[in-house]
Amino acid sequence: MSEDLARLIADRHIVVCTGPGGVGKTTISAALAVRAADLGRKTIVCTIDPAKRLAQSLGLSELGNTPREVAKSAYGKGRQPKAALWAMMLDMKRTFDDLIVDMASPDLAKRILSNPFYEHISSTLAGTQEYMAMEKLYELHEEGRWELIIIDTPPSRSALDFLDAPRKITDFLEGRFLRVLLWPYMKAGKGTLRVFNYGAQAFFRAATKITGSELLSDVATFFQMFQGMFGTFKARAERVRELLGTQRTAFIVVASPETESLKEARYFVQRLGREQMPLGGVIVNRTHAVEPIEELDAIKATGDPLLTAAAELYNDWRTASQREDEAVAKALADLPGTSVWRVPDLVDDVHDVAALRTLADALLGPIA
Amino acid sequence: MHPSLTSSRVAIVSGKGGVGKTTIAAALAKAAAAQGKRVLLLEVEGRNSLAPLFGIPSLGYPEHVVAPNLSAESVVPDEALVEYLYMFYGIKRIGKALAHTKATEFATNIAPGLRDILLIGKVKEAERRRVREAYAFDLVVLDAPPTGRLPRFLDAPRAVADLVRAGPIRTQAHGVLDMITDPARSAVVLVTLPEEMPVQETVESIATLRRMGVAVGPVVVNRVAAEPFTKTVERSLISDARKAIARAMEKAGVAAPAATLERLAAVAAASARRTRNQRAVMTELEADIDRPMISVPALLSPTVGPAEVDFLASVLSDSGAIS
Ligand SMILES: Nc1ncnc2c1ncn2[C@@H]1O[C@H](COP(=O)(O)OP(=O)(O)OP(=O)(O)O)[C@@H](O)[C@H]1O
Ligand SMILES: Nc1ncnc2c1ncn2[C@@H]1O[C@H](COP(=O)(O)OP(=O)(O)O)[C@@H](O)[C@H]1O
Ligand SMILES: [Mg+2]
Ligand SMILES: [Mg+2]
Repeated sequence: MSEDLARLIADRHIVVCTGPGGVGKTTISAALAVRAADLGRKTIVCTIDPAKRLAQSLGLSELGNTPREVAKSAYGKGRQPKAALWAMMLDMKRTFDDLIVDMASPDLAKRILSNPFYEHISSTLAGTQEYMAMEKLYELHEEGRWELIIIDTPPSRSALDFLDAPRKITDFLEGRFLRVLLWPYMKAGKGTLRVFNYGAQAFFRAATKITGSELLSDVATFFQMFQGMFGTFKARAERVRELLGTQRTAFIVVASPETESLKEARYFVQRLGREQMPLGGVIVNRTHAVEPIEELDAIKATGDPLLTAAAELYNDWRTASQREDEAVAKALADLPGTSVWRVPDLVDDVHDVAALRTLADALLGPIA
Repeated sequence: MHPSLTSSRVAIVSGKGGVGKTTIAAALAKAAAAQGKRVLLLEVEGRNSLAPLFGIPSLGYPEHVVAPNLSAESVVPDEALVEYLYMFYGIKRIGKALAHTKATEFATNIAPGLRDILLIGKVKEAERRRVREAYAFDLVVLDAPPTGRLPRFLDAPRAVADLVRAGPIRTQAHGVLDMITDPARSAVVLVTLPEEMPVQETVESIATLRRMGVAVGPVVVNRVAAEPFTKTVERSLISDARKAIARAMEKAGVAAPAATLERLAAVAAASARRTRNQRAVMTELEADIDRPMISVPALLSPTVGPAEVDFLASVLSDSGAIS
């Protein structure tokens, strides 16, 4: 039912679009945001890696990481939205830097930001991108300027990364294991570490041999600096999780109508359930709903080249459409109470507000 | 330019997420093996994506023979580290102990590129491996990380060499660097779809790879839709499909209800727009890169398994790109 989706867009405060890469998360996020603004809700959409042309038409190409109102010119000949539509493009490194500056004293922040190991943490550590998306979401929420915040998520290798990210990162930064490993480099202040398992010892010897000790001491320095901030960091991660868990939030899982993608969507739905996160529903994007045609054989039998080709094509698309239906049913039918919405493949790339509105119409029906 | 996917000893298959890297890597490996090359197919993302393409539940460690002349393995950093330590230090016990702790997870988190170095180190080891005098494999096919992570993956040796000033890791890093910058030893095969975003990413990553001194082989355009209509018909369908079809029906003397006409016209028009867009995107790609392109058709079967991979392998062979 598209009414359920319409209701989510009308009354939730946060909508998180998630799902495997390349399925249309960013596009759907933007289309939902345009619809919400058209209906009169002050909305911001935070995108991650939008297609170049979509970014350009939303005015995102110049400045990353800061919210901007979508310019009047973006609507072309179309109507202006009823409420302001804002958009931004997430820059994870900058978000992380800002977070450090926010949490540490100016001097400490400066030292952390220039530590070579921080560079690595902030740009390549698995889960950082996901975590920063959540952090930015929290900031936008705190700012209190928007009725609706729609957040896109990075193309995760696994749909689970998004929920796991805070735990993964805080585990890593808490790094009890690491601290044990790094003890020779940490200032001795807490007495000697006697309890020391064999694996850790072995690891330590191997790691020193492999990486050279300068690297380990960089890492140790980083952890020393970071130690005091860890509590704040963790508390923040917990608050984000709390915010996501309330009924003011809805997760929307986006998938393509292919077995693999739907399998992942299914997994994600179940996972959200286990984590008691509020699932809005699943959007199956780029479907090909093709109804049967009785006269197809007669049309094909005419021998007219156009008609024969069109009839064969129709047959293939009809088969593909049935397979899509089967795949959707197989993956999602037995998930109780999960709404599933379909969006047709528009064929032409979706890269301006007009096309986003067409997509929203296809998803939610035209605005009354 | 004659397209060859096997001009180097290692084919590093990459592309945007979901474009068909794993599928094409498997098809390429199978095609080369069918031509008598001894081939090793490796995946490094630990996702167990290759096994189903060979009809087996999972690919174990070590290598596993999956077809005549073809072995495959899913390389796991833990195992690679253990193997590496054993090879260089003969420390089997440490290795075992390591594999049971979360040590490598941490090691690979603290040392930038260490995980990647281990993975790509395994590729290099396989490429150099000799049995008596001859190379053990004629071709190593790597189902590589997606283009977004590829530069970092391939740059790991350089990054590690910069960080670590001495020792076996540094030697190892230089060895890998030599391999990835030697066009006779390795080249990247980029897979893309005939759509705007993946094509743009392909163009950008070719430039990046070139800057890194990494050779780029032919570009494989995967899932190309068949063109059911001539260009003239395609144009008439795009401008007014209902009219074009109604006229043809009238001429052929068949009648159909308005709803049928509507449905037929919608599908024909969508297909026509798709093939037109596809051609435009491929023309653009061809103009933007000076690499040969190989088209691979979109299969209609709902799942891709061994039979489909065989078919795709024959497509690659027929294109003359495996030699
Ligand atoms: N030529 C083709 N025709 C039809 N389906 C295909 C074709 N090539 C790939 N596919 C399907 O597309 C999907 C993605 O393919 P694959 O897993 O090979 O992509 P990938 O690039 O390795 O993805 P990832 O980035 O997730 O590793 C799979 O379901 C595969 O079966
Ligand atoms: N329903 C649709 N019809 C046609 N094209 C679409 C549709 N949804 C997405 N696209 C196109 O697919 C591509 C990938 O979409 P994107 O939203 O960037 O995916 P993701 O954010 O999941 O990686 C874009 O070029 C977009 O224009
Ligand atoms: Mg995206
Ligand atoms: Mg893959």
